[in-house]
Amino acid sequence: MNNKEFDNIFNDCLERLLIKGESLEQCLAHYPEQAAELKPLLETALAAREASTIQPRPDFRARARYQFQAALKETAAGKSRTSWGWFPRWATVMAIVLALVLSGGGTVFAADSSMPDSPLYSVKLATEQVRLTLTPSQIAKAKLCAQLADRRVAEIAYMADKGDVEQVEILTRRLDEKLELLVVFIEGRGGIHLPGMMMAPPQEEAAAPPATYEAPPPTEDAASPPVAMTAPDKGWGGRDDSTQNGNRHELRNTLVSDAASNRAVLRAGLDDVPESARDALRRALAVSEEGYEEALDALE
Amino acid sequence: MPPKAAGSCQVQDEESLVRRAQKHDQEAFAQIYEEYFDKIYRYITLKIGDAVEAEDLTQQVFLNSLRSISSFRWKGKPFSAWLYRIAHNQVVDFLRKKKRTTVPLEETLASGGDNPQLAAERKLDVEQVLAAARRLTDAQREVISLRFTSELSIAQVAEVMGKSQGAVKALQHSGIVALRRVLSVTQNE
Repeated sequence: MNNKEFDNIFNDCLERLLIKGESLEQCLAHYPEQAAELKPLLETALAAREASTIQPRPDFRARARYQFQAALKETAAGKSRTSWGWFPRWATVMAIVLALVLSGGGTVFAADSSMPDSPLYSVKLATEQVRLTLTPSQIAKAKLCAQLADRRVAEIAYMADKGDVEQVEILTRRLDEKLELLVVFIEGRGGIHLPGMMMAPPQEEAAAPPATYEAPPPTEDAASPPVAMTAPDKGWGGRDDSTQNGNRHELRNTLVSDAASNRAVLRAGLDDVPESARDALRRALAVSEEGYEEALDALE
Repeated sequence: MPPKAAGSCQVQDEESLVRRAQKHDQEAFAQIYEEYFDKIYRYITLKIGDAVEAEDLTQQVFLNSLRSISSFRWKGKPFSAWLYRIAHNQVVDFLRKKKRTTVPLEETLASGGDNPQLAAERKLDVEQVLAAARRLTDAQREVISLRFTSELSIAQVAEVMGKSQGAVKALQHSGIVALRRVLSVTQNE
């Protein structure tokens, strides 16, 4: 028998063993003359197959998924637009300045991609609230709410991967709030003093930053800019009908895409997360689906 | 390993998925990501022998694929071949930077004194396999990695490597023989 023939026999045995699920003995029975030579090789192949049990660490998988999702959205929206893209330049500067005052140092940028288990997460939430307040128009606020809802979904997936049911539930409530706020802005009901916009985070959000960093929770006094700083609310841009229709159309496309990708992310998580976190993740999925549906209805 | 041959329906599904991803359909790309993430991770882990370093490289593969998916063209090759080529290039760059070289098996192993039968009876863990895989030649490691950790068929491996199926089968055979020798020596030490 030449090498080529043996290569084929060996491959056939591998297919039987690894795909068809035959036992080693069954495989060898097909080639009794080569059994002695095949047996140790097939045993080694089974050992190599053991390497297929390697799994990425849950922490890494969740963080990677979050980063990839962020990159995906940025690419889809066009390279010119960054995650601050919906935000007017002057407001971005003000938000950073305010957040720096609140948090100190250069933590804001690092905080932007932090997760709920990070010391910087409270900075992230504070920065988001400042951004939301300083965003002048209803349409821009609605778009920002959509971005923030996206973040919450990624965080839910991350914490569910870690099996942290309590955090998943907290984040689900935050997601629900953001999606409700989104509807408010879509319907043009958003004033400067919307509930939840500039209030300090709920107790659990500010409650337990690790000892290494303790960012002060944003307060009404500290975080709210003077009313004069806020540009007049122009509703859906305060422009002509065609501009308004264009904005609504653009937002609708964004929400359709977000709803689908977030559904995919949360559903994918159901297969991977610890059993204990699955019910919480299912609730998050339900909140996400319902929230996006309501937002899309509001756009009709 | 995957089912022996991907049906035309599966191929069409993947083609449709990739075309949607090329049009920046986020859900389509998310599906591709979920489908291949673990496989690419395992492929890289076995190639470089370091599960932690493999994490960053895996993520980079997907970010690179996101940036360049618009350049992908269907030319009869499966999408996986394109994705694994990106992963392969990522690994090559990484190893070049680390200046890590593979020591040829024949130069490092004593030819006698091992006891393969005894070794085979011992339980082999993943770390041993990873360590042993470092001693294979690049081509052998590529085949073992694609076949046994990424679960590609012989035909798919041939596409990824740009080799004939016969050549892949030969490398599969020589790779397993070499792996067995390394594992035998390791376990007897």
